[in-house]
Amino acid sequence: MRGQLRSELLKQRTTRTSFLLLLWMVGLVALAVLLHVFGFSAEELARDENQLKVLGLGASLGALFASLLGAMSITGEFRHGTIRPTLLATPRRTRVIAAKVAASALAGLAVGLLAGALTAGVEAAGLGARGIPIELSAGDYAQLLAGGAVAGALFAAIGVGVGAVVRNQVSAVVGLCVWLLFIEPLLFGDVPAAAKFAPGASAGAIAGAIQTQVASSLLAPALGVLLLVAYAAAATAAGSIATTRSDVN
Amino acid sequence: MAVDDVTFSLQPGSITGFLGPNGAGKTTTLRLLVGLAKPTAGEAFVFGRRYQDLEHPMRRVGAVLESGDFDPGRSGRNHLRTLALATGTPYGRVEELLELVELQAAADRPVGTYSLGMRQRLGLAAALLGDPELLLLDEPANGLDPAGIHWLRGFLRQFAERGGTVLVSSHVLAELARTVDAALIIDRGRLVAMVGLDQLADATGSLEDLYLEITARDRA
Repeated sequence: MRGQLRSELLKQRTTRTSFLLLLWMVGLVALAVLLHVFGFSAEELARDENQLKVLGLGASLGALFASLLGAMSITGEFRHGTIRPTLLATPRRTRVIAAKVAASALAGLAVGLLAGALTAGVEAAGLGARGIPIELSAGDYAQLLAGGAVAGALFAAIGVGVGAVVRNQVSAVVGLCVWLLFIEPLLFGDVPAAAKFAPGASAGAIAGAIQTQVASSLLAPALGVLLLVAYAAAATAAGSIATTRSDVN
Repeated sequence: MAVDDVTFSLQPGSITGFLGPNGAGKTTTLRLLVGLAKPTAGEAFVFGRRYQDLEHPMRRVGAVLESGDFDPGRSGRNHLRTLALATGTPYGRVEELLELVELQAAADRPVGTYSLGMRQRLGLAAALLGDPELLLLDEPANGLDPAGIHWLRGFLRQFAERGGTVLVSSHVLAELARTVDAALIIDRGRLVAMVGLDQLADATGSLEDLYLEITARDRA
């Protein structure tokens, strides 16, 4: 199992997709945070709740890109055909999925941390440039970084599960993007009482905020962790079953 | 049903051609043997067990099922290393194989820049990581230029001479006629003939005549 994990970590480091995803994330976080920091009025931005919402962009985008990284780790193998040599080397397919989940969770942790740190840095710089005092506490930042890292790790596992079930790279990527960027915000508009139990909202609960919601409309952080662990477990179990049961052509 | 009740044994130290028209079930048979596909009924065994139940599958069986199973951005060396890590094979073996398949100079280049022949050789190197007893190759000569086919022939002959067993599928007889010691002929999912060494050496007819005769008889 250790060999499989090291193999997956090496795969991650030696594919262009990982670097491209990371670049996209850095660019998107910077763009989104700057748009918010320079798009809103000084009065709006002076309120700590709005500053927290901007911070929540980091949690949202970190979770999204962590899930994409996880999904790529398995759909990339189907896309390029490397799944065949991979399964010849390790015919126990659950072992392959477990190694991918572990490797992706590690990468997702780093992605969550990076997204959080970048958001905090860009927001602070932007607010500073506009002369708006920062109302966020050290606790807010700590929760964003720690929570963002945990959410990133768990979302990467969700991504592996989704990718293993879907297998097609485009479908998996579009599905995850649509869910996190479109459906969940829509649910928050229509059925907020139910929406806070969704995976993206759970990530926000752990990190303290997501792009449109702050802690008061989300679950308690501990409950968010539990829920997201359950989502990750369900997704990886489904991915494991799908991979074991279906033939590889 | 793609394949039904196919059983055969191969001679160590020999190259056996796995012949049949397109869609006869050659690829399906190979995929079933290495556990990529599951039979709808029954089991597929190699060395008396399911592939996934072999203690060190890559030390028993090396297989190349497609010629392009690489991440185009990953280097040839790293491709082999990912598989070496997963199978507990030391990196030194990777270097040995890169030398064997003459890819040392290109080892750090992304596979996306490789020619078809180079990819084919990298695939072979991956199959050889565990120094297997049996080599299964699906249509390995597809798309290779004459130099590539010549290299492959020499390579397979060497592998067999060192005691290895080779099963190589093809739907193009000419590629194989000069290479194989024996042949299995499959048609519509059933094994229709096993042609031994001695029969092939017979002057009574070329492999091609035999193949055409058998597949035609089977259809009649």
